Amino acid sequence: MINAAWYPVFLKEMIHFRRKLFRLGYLFSTMLVPIIYLIAFGFGLGRSVKIGEGDYLAFLIPGLAAMSSMNNSYNWVAGALAIDRIYFKTFQIFVQAPVKPSAIMTGEVLAAMFRGLFASLLIVAVGFVASPDFFPGPIFILTLFLNGFLFANLGVIVGMRAKSHEDTATYSNFLIMPMAFFSGTFFPVDKIPFLFQPVIQILPLTHTNILIRKAAMDTEAWVSLGVLVVYAIGLFVYGSRLIRNYSE
Amino acid sequence: MIEIKNLTKNYGSVRAVDNLNLTIDKGEVFGLLGPNGAGKTTAIKVLTTLTKPDAGHCTIEGFDVVRESYEIKKRIGVVPQENNLDRDLTARENLEIYSMLHHVADRKRKIEDCLKMVNLWERRDTVVSGFSGGMQRRLLLARALLSQPSVLFLDEPSIGLDPQIRRQMWDMIRKTGIYGQTVVLTTHYIEEADALCRRVGVLSHGKLIALDTPGNLKNSIGEYVVEFIDTEGKLQQQICPTRDDAHKIAAGYAGNVTVRKTNLEDVFIQLTGERIE
Repeated sequence: MINAAWYPVFLKEMIHFRRKLFRLGYLFSTMLVPIIYLIAFGFGLGRSVKIGEGDYLAFLIPGLAAMSSMNNSYNWVAGALAIDRIYFKTFQIFVQAPVKPSAIMTGEVLAAMFRGLFASLLIVAVGFVASPDFFPGPIFILTLFLNGFLFANLGVIVGMRAKSHEDTATYSNFLIMPMAFFSGTFFPVDKIPFLFQPVIQILPLTHTNILIRKAAMDTEAWVSLGVLVVYAIGLFVYGSRLIRNYSE
Repeated sequence: MIEIKNLTKNYGSVRAVDNLNLTIDKGEVFGLLGPNGAGKTTAIKVLTTLTKPDAGHCTIEGFDVVRESYEIKKRIGVVPQENNLDRDLTARENLEIYSMLHHVADRKRKIEDCLKMVNLWERRDTVVSGFSGGMQRRLLLARALLSQPSVLFLDEPSIGLDPQIRRQMWDMIRKTGIYGQTVVLTTHYIEEADALCRRVGVLSHGKLIALDTPGNLKNSIGEYVVEFIDTEGKLQQQICPTRDDAHKIAAGYAGNVTVRKTNLEDVFIQLTGERIE
C-alpha cells in the first residue's frame, strides 16, 4: 500500500477506472475516434500522401497516440471532476481532509494521466500492426508521459472552473478540438498559413507532436521539451492554487 | 470549544449568515435550528472549511478555520446535508478512501467497528448506489466517525428518513456524545433538536435570534399551548404560562380544542411569526 498523501485520490479514480474497464463498451469507445482517424486518414487519404521520405502511417500514428493521450487525460478528469464537485459533491471529501492541495492535484492528475496513457497504448499496439516503419523509442514514451501529465493538469483546471458539466464541453471545443486538428497530428504544422503560425507555435500539442516524432534530441526537440515542461509546471501550480482557494 | 465571532457570509446580494456570534462548549451537543434558508448549512460550511467567510472569524479548539484549515481538518468529522458518498464504490471502499485521507491508524479494525456500529457490516461489499436512503445516511455517520474527530458536524443528519429510522439515527448520535465529542447539528426537525441537544441556537434569515436550552426556550414563552380551529377553519394557538391557565382557556371554546406542552416550533413562531418547514 502506497503511503503518499495523493494515493487515496488516485486510488478512488483507479477503482472507477477498473470497474469501467470491464464494461463492454469502454475499450471500444476509448479506441473508436483514433481508429476512425487511422482508417480515414491513414489507410484512406494517406495512401496518396507522402510526408518527407517516410510512410504517412509512420507519421500519423505518433500524432494519433499524442492526440489520444491528450483527449483521454483531459476529458476524463475534466468531466468527472466537474460532476463530482457540482452534482455528487464527492470532491468535497478531498478538500475537507487534512491533505495538501498539491496532493489532491497530484492524485487527480496521475489518475487522468494513467487513463490517457492506457488509451495511447492501444493506439501504439494498433500502430505496430499497421505500420512496419513505426517504432516507439524512449523520446516517444517520455513525450507521451509528459503530454498526458500536461493535459491531465488542464483537465483538472477545467473541472475546477466549470460551472456545469456542459461547460467542460465548451472548454473542450475551444481548447482541445483546435489542437487535435492544427497541432501537427495529421499534417506538419509548416503547411498552415504563415499568419496562424504564432498561434500554432504556442499550443502545447504542437510541441508534443514535434517531440514525439524525434528519433534523437536536437535543438528543436529541446525547445519543445522546454515548452512542455513549462506548461506542465505552470498548469500544475495553477490547478493546485484553484484547489487551495476552493470555496462554495 | 468552537468560537464564532461576527461571522458574515453573502451569496451575491443574499446575506446567508448575518453577524453570527456563538460559543459552543467542548463536549456539548449543540443544535442550530431554523427553516430552510436560515443560514444553518452556510455556517456549517464555514466551520468545516468548505466556504470562506466574508467577515468575522471562527476558531475550533483554538485554530482559525481559514488560516489554519489543515489543523481544523484533522479534528472534524462531517455528515453533510447532501449525500456525498461515492455511489459507485462499496461501503468499505468509501471508508477505506476516507480513512487514508484522514491518516487513520489501524484502518481495517476501525472500518469494521464503524460499519458494525451503524449495522452495515453485512453489506460492506455492496455498492452504495444499491443502498436505501437510510443506509446511506448511516454510512455517512460511520464515515464521519472513522477518524475519531473531536468535533462532529451533522448537517440535517436524519433528513428524508422515516420516523423509525430517524430514531435509530438519534440513538447513534447519542452514542457519539458518550465519547466526549463536541457535536454541532443543524436540523429543521423540532423533535430532533429537542431529543438530542443540550443547547439550541435559533437562526432566522442568517441571524441568531435565540440561544438557550430547549427547556428554557420553551419556558420563556409559556409551558402550554391551546390549539383550536376557528370559524374560518384556521388553526389558532394561544400560549399559556401554566397548565391550569391553558385548561381554563380551553374550556371557553366549543368544538375540537387541544391542550399540549409547548415545543421549539412554538418558540420559533413566537420569535419570528414564521413556521419551520
